[in-house]
Amino acid sequence: MTTGSIPAGSDPRRLLAEVRALAHRVRLDQRLTWVALLVLAAATFVGIAFDFFGMRVNCRPDGSCEFARRGVLYYWPPALLSAYAAIAVCYVRTARSRGVGARVLPYAITGAALTVVFTAAWVVAALYFPSHPHTFPSWVLVLDRLIAPWGTIGVALLVLARLERNVALLLFTLGYLAMVLLVLPMNDGWGSPHWGIRAAFAIPQLIAGAVLLLGAIGFAAARRRHR
Amino acid sequence: MSAGTDHPDPDADHPVTGMDEVVHQRVRLGILTIAHEANRVEFGYLRTQLDLTAGNLSKHLSVLETAGLIEVEKGYEGRRGRTWVTLTAAGTTALSDEIGRLKRLIARVEPTGRG
Repeated sequence: MTTGSIPAGSDPRRLLAEVRALAHRVRLDQRLTWVALLVLAAATFVGIAFDFFGMRVNCRPDGSCEFARRGVLYYWPPALLSAYAAIAVCYVRTARSRGVGARVLPYAITGAALTVVFTAAWVVAALYFPSHPHTFPSWVLVLDRLIAPWGTIGVALLVLARLERNVALLLFTLGYLAMVLLVLPMNDGWGSPHWGIRAAFAIPQLIAGAVLLLGAIGFAAARRRHR
Repeated sequence: MSAGTDHPDPDADHPVTGMDEVVHQRVRLGILTIAHEANRVEFGYLRTQLDLTAGNLSKHLSVLETAGLIEVEKGYEGRRGRTWVTLTAAGTTALSDEIGRLKRLIARVEPTGRG
């Protein structure tokens, strides 16, 4: 790289390409995607136990059951806020040690705001629906999955992908969101009826956590390879 | 009708017109780009990425600081002295103007594809 002024005949294409390459290198050095996914995977796995043991189940003699996922309501709000705070601290510290600033604050703020939305919606639902039973259309169930913790994790990750201009994370997140919104019955439960309601709800969460963990491993491996 | 209207100066809006010599320099453009992407960048990081000596980088930073395009903040992390560079609002504008000029310049010299 020269230190003199750019000669009049210098190629602006090359100059722009250099600018883009420098910007790309900085973005790579600001990323810590695998840590974010690892923290979220850990929060998801721990949440399974809270949901399992915190669920109130009331089964009638005719075989029908009512349940209330109190564990989700008590565990996830503080867990998500702590997770976003931990991710933000890790990003800032790592970026600082690499000599650059971090681009994580809008992600953490989005995550925290979505946590407030999820908590408010679930509190309202917990207070209202037991006395006003409803049968919901499928789009309401998808919306319910979107504002549930596993859905908000995906929405916030979209913001992170945008901040990092990370196409791989964008694709991963779109796949993850499609899975938790359209494939996994996060708000219905899954599995054989004789496993019980608690296990039926644990299985989709286990799969969501495993996908986040695999994502963390994949992004960590990609980072190692890049370095 | 004035002559100026009939025969506009073809170079009047040429991208090189009004080019900022402080920014239109490969290393300084690199510093501004990195500082813009990084929000805040450390001296050592700039030195490594731009492959410069400390003295050389200091001279360029001094030019940009004098022009009001960057802010330089010196501090300590533990016992180690560290220098952080942040882009000012004027620096962001200057970088954006320079990149816009480069793009216009490319568009001007690029063949239209119609022969």
